Amino acid sequence: MYKKTKRRLMLPASVVIAVFLFLVVPAIAMAGGNAAKGEKVVKTRKLGNCIACHVLPGLAFPGDIGPDLVKAMQHYSRSDRATVRQWVYDARKFNSDTIMPPFGTNKILTNQQIDDVVAYLYSLKKSK
Amino acid sequence: MTIDKEKIIVMLSAVALLIASGLFYSYAVADANASDTIKEYKPSVSSQEYEKRYKEFYGNFTEQMAEEGNPADLTLDDGRDLFSTVAGSKGKSCASCHGKDGKKLKGAATSYPKYDASLKGIKTLALQINMCRKNKMGAKPMKYESYDQLALDLFVKSLSNGMLINVSINGPARPFYEKGKAFYYKRMGQLNFSCAICHVKYAGHKARANLISNNRHHADHWPSYRLKWAKTGSLQRRFRGCTKNMRAKPLPYQSDLYRDMELYMTYISNGLPIKVPGFRM
Repeated sequence: MYKKTKRRLMLPASVVIAVFLFLVVPAIAMAGGNAAKGEKVVKTRKLGNCIACHVLPGLAFPGDIGPDLVKAMQHYSRSDRATVRQWVYDARKFNSDTIMPPFGTNKILTNQQIDDVVAYLYSLKKSK
Repeated sequence: MTIDKEKIIVMLSAVALLIASGLFYSYAVADANASDTIKEYKPSVSSQEYEKRYKEFYGNFTEQMAEEGNPADLTLDDGRDLFSTVAGSKGKSCASCHGKDGKKLKGAATSYPKYDASLKGIKTLALQINMCRKNKMGAKPMKYESYDQLALDLFVKSLSNGMLINVSINGPARPFYEKGKAFYYKRMGQLNFSCAICHVKYAGHKARANLISNNRHHADHWPSYRLKWAKTGSLQRRFRGCTKNMRAKPLPYQSDLYRDMELYMTYISNGLPIKVPGFRM
């Protein structure tokens, strides 16, 4: 009796696990950036160093090569997350002669760090 | 059996390493032949506008410090001494041919770098000095970027101070000029920058607390004393520093591409007076 129940539960359980692995985990990974960690990446010279070219809140002497990121983020809604991520990952997709380093393609940052940066960028949008 | 496996693994990893280093080398050095396809950037600011921004940003801090005493002046004095120091098997000094204190070399530096048939390439002033030492004096060539080499280079260049840079890119020099230009526009390193994108397209912009310099005056003042180095150094040392900042592999001093690029950059400064030693941040 007990064995039968167990067997009956096997299939639904494996489906649930599969769904979790293939859909939920990537979704969490994509959306699961940590804004506070992202802020550190953005402001650290040896990591993202975004402040070298972009205006960001809370740091003196920003660069003026790229756009002000608070202003830029007003153009992106929640559903544009993949686009925002692509800008960080490799901006050459949008502008073949960009000066922006391809942080993902050239492995300047890890995927997790890029997610953290994207989370930070969206936090700028909230705080407007 | 297991030994064979190990051997195979070692061999395979050696091959992999070779391939990887080869790839890395080509990635960092890159061949710079495709000059015809280069689309030059329009400078983001005029030279006058850049000068204005520089004054606003830094004031005349470096000029003042240089006036109070450029440490490279001491290097220049040592260069003057070296000029008349006998060296090598033929018992000669530079002054033996070029006159006391280099009288006959006045203006000579204005045409460097230039094409040299024996090299089948571009000859910088540093290279010429070493060629003189080897061929005319029977002396050992000086190590590039060593104190003595910089001192002598600086002294010979100072003999043309105030005279206008006038390098030629005609005739056989032309392909090397093109190579230098291609290298200047070549994207490289982990950050995927080129010299040109910063110093032409975004010159006069700010990168954090730095004003990105425009390339008009990049080649008219070397060797210079640089505060960041706390030392006198050459233009090619600056190349290497910039290359490292792009996270690319720097090339050796006086390598082919660096000499080609020195020609390209000096050509941009054509018509400006030579001013050595410079003083930079």
